[in-house]
Parts: sequence; structure tokens; C-alpha cells
Amino acid sequence: MTDKPVLTLKDLSIEFPTPKGVVQAVKSLSLDIHKGRRVGFIGESGSGKTTTALAVMQMLAEPGRVSGGTIDLSGTNILHLNEEEMRRTRLSRVAYIPQGAMNSLNPVMRVEPQMWDAIIAHEGNKDRAELQRRSDEALESVGLPPRVGKLFPHELSGGMKQRVCIAMGIILNPELMIADEPTSALDVVTQRQVIQTLKDIQSKIGSGLMMIGHDMGLMAQTVDELAVLKDGELVEHGTVQQILEAPKHPYTKDLISSVPLVGGESFLNPDARAEAPKRASSEPLLRFDNVRKDYGSVTALRPLSFTLQGDTPQIISIVGQSGSGKSTMGSIMLGFNPPSQGQVLYEGQDIQRMNAGQSLEFRKNVQAVFQDPYACFNPFYRVNHALKFPYKQFGLATSEAQTQRAMEEACAAVGLDPDLVLSRYPHQLSGGQRQRLIVARALMLSPKLLIADEPVSMVDASLRATILSNIYDLKDKYGISILYITHDLATAYHVSDYVMVLFKGHVVEAGPPKEVIGAPQHPYTRLLIDSIPWPDLERSWGDGRGDWDPAQLEAQAERAATEYRGDVPGFDLLRA
Amino acid sequence: MTSQDNMPMTRAEKKQARRIRRFDNPWINPKLIWGAALLLGIVAIGIIGRFVWNLDLVFTGSAPLKLPPIGFENLRGQPGVLDHPLGTDGGGRDMLSLIIIGAPNTLFVGLLASLIGMSIGIFLGFSAGFMGGRTDDVIRVGADVMITIPPLLILVVFQSAFGDVSLTMMALLIAGFVWQSPTRLIRAQVLSMKQSGYVQMAQLSGASTSHIMFREMLPNLVPYLFGSFIASVTTSIVTAVGLEVLGLGPQRIPTLGRTIYEAINAGALIQNLWWWWGIPTLLLGIIFIGLLLINLGLDEVSNPRLRKLS
Repeated sequence: MTDKPVLTLKDLSIEFPTPKGVVQAVKSLSLDIHKGRRVGFIGESGSGKTTTALAVMQMLAEPGRVSGGTIDLSGTNILHLNEEEMRRTRLSRVAYIPQGAMNSLNPVMRVEPQMWDAIIAHEGNKDRAELQRRSDEALESVGLPPRVGKLFPHELSGGMKQRVCIAMGIILNPELMIADEPTSALDVVTQRQVIQTLKDIQSKIGSGLMMIGHDMGLMAQTVDELAVLKDGELVEHGTVQQILEAPKHPYTKDLISSVPLVGGESFLNPDARAEAPKRASSEPLLRFDNVRKDYGSVTALRPLSFTLQGDTPQIISIVGQSGSGKSTMGSIMLGFNPPSQGQVLYEGQDIQRMNAGQSLEFRKNVQAVFQDPYACFNPFYRVNHALKFPYKQFGLATSEAQTQRAMEEACAAVGLDPDLVLSRYPHQLSGGQRQRLIVARALMLSPKLLIADEPVSMVDASLRATILSNIYDLKDKYGISILYITHDLATAYHVSDYVMVLFKGHVVEAGPPKEVIGAPQHPYTRLLIDSIPWPDLERSWGDGRGDWDPAQLEAQAERAATEYRGDVPGFDLLRA
Repeated sequence: MTSQDNMPMTRAEKKQARRIRRFDNPWINPKLIWGAALLLGIVAIGIIGRFVWNLDLVFTGSAPLKLPPIGFENLRGQPGVLDHPLGTDGGGRDMLSLIIIGAPNTLFVGLLASLIGMSIGIFLGFSAGFMGGRTDDVIRVGADVMITIPPLLILVVFQSAFGDVSLTMMALLIAGFVWQSPTRLIRAQVLSMKQSGYVQMAQLSGASTSHIMFREMLPNLVPYLFGSFIASVTTSIVTAVGLEVLGLGPQRIPTLGRTIYEAINAGALIQNLWWWWGIPTLLLGIIFIGLLLINLGLDEVSNPRLRKLS
């Protein structure tokens, strides 16, 4: 590496003055990015990775400011540029590929003119044919046909939009690309495709790439060098190889071990086995009887029948991409969403036709943990309201002191300090704490069935394992059966007793996780598993192989018949 | 943010601490306090005035005509007298007593009209948002249609048909035109809140519909409701004063608008009887500035991003 680096950060410090004093978002960060190298910035939310990227673009949000150090973009000190010079630098020398591509394109303009705007703003007016040629070229280089340019953003899928954003970023051949979690809103299959495109194009134009993310697996498959940030400090920097094989800082070790692998060691400790709570009814706990759901002309869930006995606690996982119908299934089970056809029976009772008493009994025994821990608490009340209210509502409370004791016990069981969290307002707690409180809430009510709908997808990676083991404990220690809805096959592999893979409203593969995820047979399951990025350098993932075509694989998957991979006692899936 | 040891704080530190406290407790907001003080001042004039001033002076001919306020002379060269500190009008009524009775009346009409309007709005907004379907369609279309009709036009017709109306009657009529925007606002909020996680959580907790409406949703609507309430008080007062200045308000009860109407009718502008129309206008101005300040203050309370540190 003899040539000058594209980007040199030297002792960069960024601070935000806030009412509670000045917050040091980035603390004297020094780093080089060389031509043609991909450097990953990894860290939790709030670790300063995006702030650093924005500082390079001089786009820090008020009142943030660079308080020290220099940012040098191949010889130009960015901090000395005035507004106009900076405007010229953006995109032509530093391109920024944003996190939410869906919000980054102008919804009232076709794609092409938006790309032309970029050229015209930097190079002056060009004639139409020249503009057309260059936009077609850029689109082609990200693997999109030129006709995409004639479409409006809402006519594109999420992955296509993200690729359009990449095309826009590289249209002026920048020296440095900054990709800020470019795939966080995409599902795994599309993620793999987009990252492949990004890597291809980056090596083609030979620019530096600054990739921001929090997923160690994705980083391992994408970048050459890794910079680990924690609380605004660079705690470790080195090649991916070095960091994965011999992480020095404990935080880096945490990050690596927080990625669950298919196979490998489990992060759970299945020692205690609790019996399911005694049930009065001999009817199965939950039965789906030919349930189907249509939204208008779209079928979200094809007729599905299964029976969950609930005599021994079990975790049934339902995995699939977004749009596979898994969340629809969850809301049908909770009775929030009536099925278009068929019945959902709770202990032999149709949940859509319950009287008030039965309904209360059903609510008490079927609880849920939702995806978004931020929305689950009413901002008006202290968090203990969310725990106390259902406890009283279901008649479990005998006295104020007993309620308080139950809340404290539940908090302690999920590893929270009750004195610290219970009397706070929701915005004073982190996402992980809130999600654990929701688990604690479920624990207090001791339901018979818990529906966990993507319980960890919005929580920082390092906390996921903890929350999942909290949920797992519900089954193991408290005997609660759990329906775990997720897109993450690796966690499903570890926690579940039975897995159903959903694809476009069909169950395509079902059986014990060791078979379904450990040795998938259905093409769709294989596609999903191949798309998971793991922190394993040997595995070819985003290496730009031309033969990896998800569209073709999906078409193949649609033709293939459902694979039934064995049964577990207590859960019967009716074979179609 | 308190100092741990007993070191006396410097002035700068005290200032900083005060600023932080203000940031922590949004209700200590200078705009809100000033606005409330102005409106309370108007109410205080009404209350204290009733005890210290002779209110019989509002009757026509109870005082000399067209006397100026103290310290001024009218066109006839008469100086203001202590018996009528704010002067008298062309009908021989004392300006001070007119204000003592009129200003609270104007405020009362505004408050009552928007209180009724808001109650209708909350009821309809919640019904529309919560029930959906046909109910929602009817309420939504109704509100949208009503919002396009200029209220003054209808009210002019109503009032001329009724002839003399009481203050309460007038408030009721105006209330018929201030429920639409709260309805729409609350409906929109309820629709988005219905999808929110905490409402789902409450449903999971076996909460009843009324619990969800009033215990979970309503508290979060409070800042919107306050803002909407103040805005509709302003609209109601503007409408009421508009009608009164046209001579369509209550005929026997003094209000600020009625006083301005009489001043214009009697040619106060040409005769340079500025205190006759000027004082009620000034008071209306104070009411509106007070309402505006409260509205701005509430906006800052409910939206922390507007709160500045300086």
C-alpha cells in the first residue's frame, strides 16, 4: 500500500452540545481508507459510525460539530471547504448510499431524470443522448435493465431501489463510497444480491468503500478491513481475518459471538425442563383448521391446518422472508385479524366467536411479544403500567404489595434490576431493556402460549442472544409453549423444537430444526440458508459468482413440493 | 444536575441550572406563562371590577356623553374626569364598566363555543377512528363538507332570523362551526394510534374498548387537544366579534364587539372619539396575543424539538 489513502481521518472528534452537557459522539478517531479497499465500521447504535460518515460528507445534523482533527480526502482537507466547494465534492468524489433507499428517491420523478440531475449539477448541461447513455450504463453496472430508468420509484422492489441508489452513487465515479447500512431494510436474499452488486461495482471503479453496519456476519462477507467502534472510540482495527480469528478487545469478541450460527455451539443452556401447566381441557391448546387469509386478491396465507397439543412445552418456529405470511399468521392466532376461511380454535373454542369471559381467559393464556419494543409502551405511563395493568385485569393481583413483588420477580428473572427500570418512563430505557420488560410481562401472566413475532429483530446484535435465552427460559423454566416467528434461521435452529418454513403463504418445509435447517432439502430453504451472512471467511457468499440467481431459484422453489421432514410429538401439521 | 458539594454556585452556573430546569419541566415555559397571565388579567378585570366599580354606569344616559379618558380632552374641550377614568361613549355609558362586563363576556363566548365544539369533536373523532366503516364515512364526509362552508355567512342568516340572542345561544351557534377540525385531527390520531404497539398490548391485556380509548389513547392526545382547543377559542372569538361588529350579536348585553359596532354606527371615527372604539380593540388584541402565546407555548411543550436551550 504505497499509494496515498483516499480518506485519512486523523484525531477526528465530533461533539453534540445537548441540554445535559456536551456529548462526545466520536473521540479522536484515526483511520485510513486506501484505494480499492473496503473498510467496515461496526458497532452498536450510538457508537458514532454514522456520525463519522456524515462528518466526511459535511452533513452533520445541527448542533453537531467537528471539534478536533482533520478529514483528508486524497489531499483535500474537507473541513476547510466552503459550502459551494463541498457541494461539488459530494457525489463526484464522495458518494453516500443511504440506509433507507425507499425514502431516498423522489417519488414523483422517474428514476432516469433523478440520475441526470446528479450529472447536470456537477458537470453542467449535457445533451440528452449523452445523459441517457450514462444512466443506462450506470443501471447496467448494478445489474438492472435500462428500462428500469423509465419507472417510478414505487414500481421498484426494495432491492431494486437500493441498487438504483448505488447506481446513482457511482455515476460520477467517486473516489470514496460510503454505504450506511445499505441492506438493513432488506431480507437476506435481497441483501446478498445487493451486497454482491456493491462489491462488484466497487472493484470495477476502484474506489474506497466505507461500509457501516452492525452485523458481524455481513461485514465478514463484505469488507477487507474492520474498524470496531464503541461509544465513539475506535477499539479495534485490522483486517477481517485478524479480527475474526484473533479478536483482541472483549467488545469485538462479544460482537463475533453474538452472531448465531447454524450448527455450532448453542447460546442456550437447556438444563431445566419444566412441565407445562396443568390444563383442565383435553382439547388441544391451539388448532388451525384450514385457515386461509386473503387481502383483496392477494392470498397471504394458503389453507393451513395444524394442532399444537401443549401438554409439553415446545417452541415452534415459523420462518420466512417478509411477505411470506408469517406475521399474518401471528395476528390471526392472537385474534387481531379474522381469517378469511377456516377457524382458529383455542382449547376447542373458535377465537372469533368467544363470549366476554372466554375471551378474557383466552387473552390471559395467549400472550405476545412484538417486534418493536419502542412502540409497546404507552409513553404517557411509567413502564410498570404495562406490567401491572394486565396482572390486575386478569385477576392475578391480590394486593398492591403482591403485584409489586410479582413485577420485581419477573424483572429479576429476565436480568433487569427492578428498582432501576420499573419506575421509569419508556423513553428512558434502551430497546433491549424494553423488550426484556415485555418478556417479563409475559412471564408474570404465565400464559400457556406465547407468540413471539420477530422479538429481536429491532434490538442491537449484542443483546439478541440474551433476550432469546430469556424467551427460551420461559419454555424451560416456566413451561410456556412458544410460537417463534422470525426471518432468522440461525436462531430458529437453536431455540425451536419444530420449524415451519413459509414461502408465499405455503409451508414449503417442516420438521425438526436439525433436519430442516441443518440439512435443507427444499430449494427455498436452501436459498434462505445460503443467503445468511456468517462470520466465516471460507464461505463463499458475496463473491460475485454469476451463477447465483435468486429469481431463478425462487421460481424453482415455487414448483417444488413441500418437504415434510419428520414429526415431533405434540405438534401435528396436516399434510396438504 | 444539582451540585454535590455545598460550594455556592456562580451566577453563570445558576443561570445554566435554571435553563436546564426549564428544559426538564416543559410547563415552565415563558410563552405559556405570559399568555396565561394576559388572559387571567382580562378575567381579573371582570372579577375585581364587579366589586370596586358601579356597574349601573353601563346603562344609556347614566353618565355625561363623550367624555375622554383622564388626561385627554375631547373636541369640545372637556377634560376627562375621575368619575369616568376611561371616558364615556356617545350614549352616556361609562367605558370602564362597559369593559368590566364586556371583555369577560367576549372571552366567555369563545371558551364556551370551543368547549362545546371540542366535546363534539372528541366524541365524533373517536367514534370515526374507532368504529371505522360506515360511521367513519358519514362523520368524515360531514366534517369535510362543513369545513368548506363559511361560518359567518350562515351565522349572519341565523342571527338575523333569531333577532336578539343570548350569549349562550350565540356560543351554541358558533360551536356548530368549530367542531370540524378537532374531529379530523382526533380521527387521524386515533387511526394511527389504533395500530400502535401499546394499544395492541392493551388489547392483549384484555382491556375494554373504553379503557383503550380513555386510559391509553386520550392521555397521549392531551397536547393536541390543548392546542386544538386554544385554536378554536381564537376562531370562536373572531367569529363572535365579527357578528357583533355587524350588529348581529346580543342586543342588550355589552360585549367588546357590540361596543365597536356602536362606535362605528355613531360615527366615532369622524368625531375623533378614539377611546370608544380603541379601548375594546386594544383588549381584543390582548386576548388574541394571549391566546397566540399559549398556543406557541403548548406547541413547545408537546414538541420538545422546538424547545431551545438559549
